[in-house]
Amino acid sequence: MSLPPELDFWHPVLTSEELDDAPKKVRLMGTDVAVFRLRGGGSVGAVLDRCPHRGASLSNGTVRDRCVVCPYHGWKWATDGTGQSPGNPEGSFRTQAFDALESDGAIWIKRAGTAVPFPRFDVAGFLEISRMRRRVNAPLEVVLDNFIEVEHTGNVHYVLGYDTQRLGEVICRVETTPESVRVYNQGAQKPMPWVLRKLFRYPPNAHFVDDWVTHFSPVRSVYDQYWIDRLTGERGGDFLRNTVFFVPVDAQTTELFVFVYAEATAWGRFGLNLALLKPLTAWLGRLEIEADVKMIEGLADKSPEIRGNLLGRFDRGPLAARNRIRRIYRRGVEGLESVRNEGGED
Amino acid sequence: MNETATDVLVIGAGPAGLAVGGCLKPAGVAFELLERASKVAPRWRDHYERLHLHTFRDLSRLPDHPWPLGVAAYPSRDQVVAYFEEHARQNGLRPRFEREVTSLRREGTRWVARTRGPHGDERWSAPRAVVATGYNRVPNRPRWPGEETFSGRVMHAAEYRNGREWLGKRALVVGSGNSGAEIVLDLFEHGASTSMCVRHPTHVSPRDLFGVIPTQVLGLGLGWLPPKLFDRLALPMTKRLVGDLSAYGISRPERGPMELLQATGRVPLLDIGTVELIRQGRVTVYPGIERFDGSDVVFVDGRRAAFDVVVLATGYHAALEGFLDGAERLVDGKGHPTAFGEEHPDAPGLYFVGYRNPPTGAIHDIAKEAVRVAKAIAHAATTATTTTATATSTAKSSTTSSGTTSGATRSAADPADSGEKKGART
Repeated sequence: MSLPPELDFWHPVLTSEELDDAPKKVRLMGTDVAVFRLRGGGSVGAVLDRCPHRGASLSNGTVRDRCVVCPYHGWKWATDGTGQSPGNPEGSFRTQAFDALESDGAIWIKRAGTAVPFPRFDVAGFLEISRMRRRVNAPLEVVLDNFIEVEHTGNVHYVLGYDTQRLGEVICRVETTPESVRVYNQGAQKPMPWVLRKLFRYPPNAHFVDDWVTHFSPVRSVYDQYWIDRLTGERGGDFLRNTVFFVPVDAQTTELFVFVYAEATAWGRFGLNLALLKPLTAWLGRLEIEADVKMIEGLADKSPEIRGNLLGRFDRGPLAARNRIRRIYRRGVEGLESVRNEGGED
Repeated sequence: MNETATDVLVIGAGPAGLAVGGCLKPAGVAFELLERASKVAPRWRDHYERLHLHTFRDLSRLPDHPWPLGVAAYPSRDQVVAYFEEHARQNGLRPRFEREVTSLRREGTRWVARTRGPHGDERWSAPRAVVATGYNRVPNRPRWPGEETFSGRVMHAAEYRNGREWLGKRALVVGSGNSGAEIVLDLFEHGASTSMCVRHPTHVSPRDLFGVIPTQVLGLGLGWLPPKLFDRLALPMTKRLVGDLSAYGISRPERGPMELLQATGRVPLLDIGTVELIRQGRVTVYPGIERFDGSDVVFVDGRRAAFDVVVLATGYHAALEGFLDGAERLVDGKGHPTAFGEEHPDAPGLYFVGYRNPPTGAIHDIAKEAVRVAKAIAHAATTATTTTATATSTAKSSTTSSGTTSGATRSAADPADSGEKKGART
């Protein structure tokens, strides 16, 4: 069968905690996949969530002998896609398998056998704050647009963002390579409660920096967020490194998969980091994302087309992302040149 | 030949040489820092891109030189290089770059180094010398039968930068040390089909205990215990955290990690994700290589498989015999000096710094050794009745004005000496 090209890339589909002993159904580009955890072997597997025999949903089945077992007639499917039928012991059967991997507290899948890089984000020595997924009723492009411009942060966000009155002063630099789009923003921080300023070790004369790079195989952005003293250029104490994957569930639905990390140690500040920084930052992150989701889902026009809109200087990132999504991620399916295996990585 | 005389010769401007220089400077001792490359810390600079310091930032720092803000607990290669550069800058160290020491020998009461490079052949002499060329001066490159028939590429980890060119290719990494394990991760992440050669039983420990505490802290906190007792305490914990890997081709040695380290110098593998890939079947483990055969590698258990690239993470040699006269009297069976962090008992005026790779972290020990060596040198220099006399006392007085430093007897051919600028530091 032919799968959409987007499935060639590794996507996070579940957090580790969400996958227990029972198989789970996930959806990617409209394709349902049964993901399961092998017993006793620290490993995960994934096959098409449709038994090729009579169409049962394998995610309703069970896991036995390193296979997912169909609830209907007991056909068994191994992680490599080979099948066995109790009623037809001589037969040899195959289904569409997916490569599955558990890493960074998430379950990742891609079409079996494709040679693509793994979308690593460098958080060596960072403190994990939170990991979450959130479904958004909007196409991937529309969701991504919100996450790669800061013009909305003045109005939409509670804390992490720029002062609306001074948006005109915000520096916004866009750097592109054939594989990535980097946007550096620096400007006056929205007014922030005293507690948070202390917690984030806010420097004097603070400017908020939001510096991200978006990659397209799969689509994801890695954000470095920190404060600098705008007069001396010196950095404040802590900063966040957030990675957001934009996972297309189907043409009209996108799942955000968010990994939040902080440059802090667990034992730092006499346990204050674990006791306060972690839960507070996690809560704050969720709050801001909910605000974004509410705005996106309420848009009057959720068409992924951006041409024809009135655009400003903050929209250069979204514009640069558009052709890379078509060329790299969707592999020219929309009529542009097809570039296979062009997986330029970090 | 141009000769420069000074109080101390420091060979190598890597972490150890820089640490020593940074300690000699405020003590007011004149020295020359000789470096074969054109920049400081060349080995770090040339390591693969994915490399991070395997030990915790704040326990791995040069004397009096904190890590800057904005660096995470395990700094990246580029951050480490920037840190060393900043250390050299702040301490006013000006290494003599592109001077490869071809020989270091005792002549009378002085140590004489000969260097070559774009500046021509030069001589440097001093009553004392600190050898800081590192335990990784020369790659250890094993050879196997049939290598000449191999159709793939064989490279040492020292040449490996990243896995970009091996997307969709078959890669084998030989060696299960920390760099071998990280290169395995890097190749997998770049989309190579990756295998690993584990030649010896290996202790595996997670880099962070329970996800948050660096294992290095355990080594530091309990390192004073007798090795056997340390192992009795540490083994059950790592066994619990890592589990039994023998089904995947990685068995535990009979001796405990600390005992093994002291006997063989082999450090445990601080795992950062490689073991998980092995467990999930994304990385295949093979035993040692027996020979190469065309496109295949044949392993000692008789298995064979085809590879496009073989990366040898087989370590390095200190290779002191390559330049140090009489080195064979001063080193042990592994080629490491038998005394370090102090004057070598068999070589008057000769010091070694940075020849250990302990579980507490190489940089951690370098810093300790450098302080001791610099103190000993400063003390010897002030009490010595030899030619050079340092005006200042040993004190840690960091504000020596340039006039008080020694160098009176230094050859006039050497105006821009590295020991003369003010040792201003915080």
